[in-house]
Amino acid sequence: MKAKDIFSYAFSAIKLRKLRAGLTTLGVVIGIAAIVALLSITQGLQVAIAGQLQKGFATDTLIVSTGGGLGAGGTDSGFNLMVNDTKTIDAIENVTTSLAIIQRVGYIKSGEQTRRVTIVGIDYATYKEIYGSTFIAETGEIPLNPENTTVVVGKRVSDPWNNGTLFCSLGDSVEILWTNTTARPLRNETYTGEIAAVLQEVGGFTIGGPSDSNIYIPISQAQSFFGTEKCEIIIVKLKNDDKTTIDSTAKVIKEAFSGQVSVTSSTAVLNIISSVFSTIELFLAGIAAISLLVAGIGIMNIMIVSLMERTREIGILKALGMKSRTVLLIFLGEAVIIGFLGAVIGVGAGWTLAQVVVRALNFGGGTRFGNQAAMSNGLTINPVLTPTVFVGAMAFGLMVSIVFALYPAWRASKLKPVEALRYE
Amino acid sequence: MATIVEAVELKKTYMLGKVPVEALRGVNLKVEEGEFLSILGPSGSGKSTLLNLIGALDKPTSGKLLIENVDISTLNDGELADLRRKIGFVFQFFNLIPRFTARQNVELPMAIAGLNRSERRKRAEELLETVGLKGRMNHKPAELSGGEQQRVAIARAVANNPRFLLMDEPTGNIDSKNAYEIIQLIKMLNQEKGVTTIMVTHDQRLAAEAKRTLHMLDGQIVEEVMN
Repeated sequence: MKAKDIFSYAFSAIKLRKLRAGLTTLGVVIGIAAIVALLSITQGLQVAIAGQLQKGFATDTLIVSTGGGLGAGGTDSGFNLMVNDTKTIDAIENVTTSLAIIQRVGYIKSGEQTRRVTIVGIDYATYKEIYGSTFIAETGEIPLNPENTTVVVGKRVSDPWNNGTLFCSLGDSVEILWTNTTARPLRNETYTGEIAAVLQEVGGFTIGGPSDSNIYIPISQAQSFFGTEKCEIIIVKLKNDDKTTIDSTAKVIKEAFSGQVSVTSSTAVLNIISSVFSTIELFLAGIAAISLLVAGIGIMNIMIVSLMERTREIGILKALGMKSRTVLLIFLGEAVIIGFLGAVIGVGAGWTLAQVVVRALNFGGGTRFGNQAAMSNGLTINPVLTPTVFVGAMAFGLMVSIVFALYPAWRASKLKPVEALRYE
Repeated sequence: MATIVEAVELKKTYMLGKVPVEALRGVNLKVEEGEFLSILGPSGSGKSTLLNLIGALDKPTSGKLLIENVDISTLNDGELADLRRKIGFVFQFFNLIPRFTARQNVELPMAIAGLNRSERRKRAEELLETVGLKGRMNHKPAELSGGEQQRVAIARAVANNPRFLLMDEPTGNIDSKNAYEIIQLIKMLNQEKGVTTIMVTHDQRLAAEAKRTLHMLDGQIVEEVMN
C-alpha cells in the first residue's frame, strides 16, 4: 500500500470521530503550548537579564573576595582583604589596575527626606578607568582628586520615581548616615557631603560596577567613616579579556593570598547565571513535559478504544490482503496526524500564551527583579522562540504521540484475521 | 484443467473456551480452475472453517492445504497476506467499511495492492457498473439495501482479478428476490469471466445452482453431487 494511501486511510478513520480526535489533539496542544510558553518566557527573561548584566559588566575584570566568592556564598575563615592589598595585586603580571571597594548599607538625607542606599567607597579615578562606559556623570563632574565630602549619586538616588521629581540634585548638601552595628552600644555615624555629580542611568544588574541606586564616596573617606581598613571586594582590571589571561591571572592572585581569596571573573558570573537559567528552564520544561505525557496516555487510551471498535474492520483489511505492517502504519499514522496537528497548534498557542503572559508582566512599566542594591529601571521581557525550542517541541510532540501509539498499533497489527472478523 | 485448491486430510481443531472443538476431521477436496462449487451443510458442519482455511485467513491444525500447489502452512504472515490479495472473499454480512462509499470500498483492495488512484477509480467504476450499481457509486453502505451492499462486496472481491472467489452464505442476509439476482450475478461471473467460485451455504436450492455440490456433516465431506 502506498504511503499516501496509508495516510489518507488513517485520516478517514480520524475524521469519523471528530470530537474524540479533537479532544485527544487538545491534550497534545496543551502539553506543547505549556512547553513552548514556559521556555520562550524563560529564554526571553534570560536574554533580558544577560543583556542588562553585560551592560554593567566589564568582561576584562576579575573580582577578588574572601571566602567562597560570589555566587557561592562566603565562609568565614577569619581572613580579610585590606584596602592596601591592591598594591600586591597591581604588581601581578597582566594586571592594569585594581580597586578596593568598601560598602555599607546606610541612608542619605536630603532636606527632611531620607532614603536607604548602598554607600560605596571607591577611588574615583580607578573606578572610572575600569568602568569607563558606565561611571559617567550626567550632571556635574566626577572629580579625580575628590574632597572628603564629595559624593557621587546614582540616577535613581537623584530621581527615585523616574518622573523628574528629584530627591536630591547637583550641588545639594546631603547628610550621610550609617549605623555601626559592631560598636557597643550601636552608634550612628554621620557626616555632611556635597553632591559633585549625578551618574547617567546604568540600568540592569552589576557586580562591582556602577549601579543606579548606589552613592559613591572617596575610599579614604569610607575608611575613616566606616572605621575600617578591610574591604569587601577588590576589582582587578586586566590587560585583555582572553580566557587564558583571565584564568592564569586569577590563579596567580589566588596564590598571592595563599588561596584564602576567591577570584571570580565577570564572564564566570555570566556563565553561572546562564547555567542557573538552564536548570530553571529544564525544570520548567520538565513540568510541561508531564502534561504532554498525560496527553500521550490519552492517545494510547483512545487508540485502544479505537482498536476495539475497529477490530472487525482490521479483520476485513487483513482478509483483503493487507499486511500486518501496514495495519501498524495506519494506526501510527493516526497518531502522527494527531501529534502533528497538536504540535503545530500547540506551538502557536504557546507562543500566543507567552506574549499574553509577558504583556501582563510588563504592564505598568516593567517587571522588577532583584534587591534594592541591584534594582534599576526594571526589565522588559520579550519571549524568545529559538529554532531549537520550535523544532524540539514539534519533535517531542510527535515522538510522544508515536511512542504511546506503538502498543495499540502493535496489538492491531497482531490481530488474527479470522478472530477479528468474528468480533462483534 | 489445473487444480487450484487441494486439501488432503485437512484437520482443524480450535478451543472454545477450554473445550477443544474438532471443526474439520480430515477433509479431502480438489477444486479445478473455472469451477463453480458449492459446499452445503448445516451450521456447525465445519463449512465456514473450511472456507476460512482456503481463504488463508486461518491455518490448519494438520493435513495439507495446497493453493496453486503451495502448502499454506509453510507461508509466513506476510506471504499469507500476499496470497489473500489473490483471493476474493464475499461474506454473509457484507463486511463493507461503513465510512467509505461504494466506490471507495471497491477501491480498497486495489489500494492495498498498491494501484494508483486513477487506475483503481476507473476499475471500481467499471466493476460497479458490471454489478448494476452505476448510479449508486457514491452511496455509503448504510444508504444501500442488503442486496446492493452484497453487490458492492462482490465487486470488491473481484477487484484484484482473484484466482478464485470464496463466498460464505452470500445470500444469507438478503431477501429471496435479491438473493436470486445475486446468484445470477455469481453465475454470470463464473460463466462469462471464468472466475473459479467456491460457495458455502445451508440452502439446498442455492447450492444446486453450482455445477458440483459437496455435502458436509460434522467436519467431513459426506457426499458429492453433480447438479
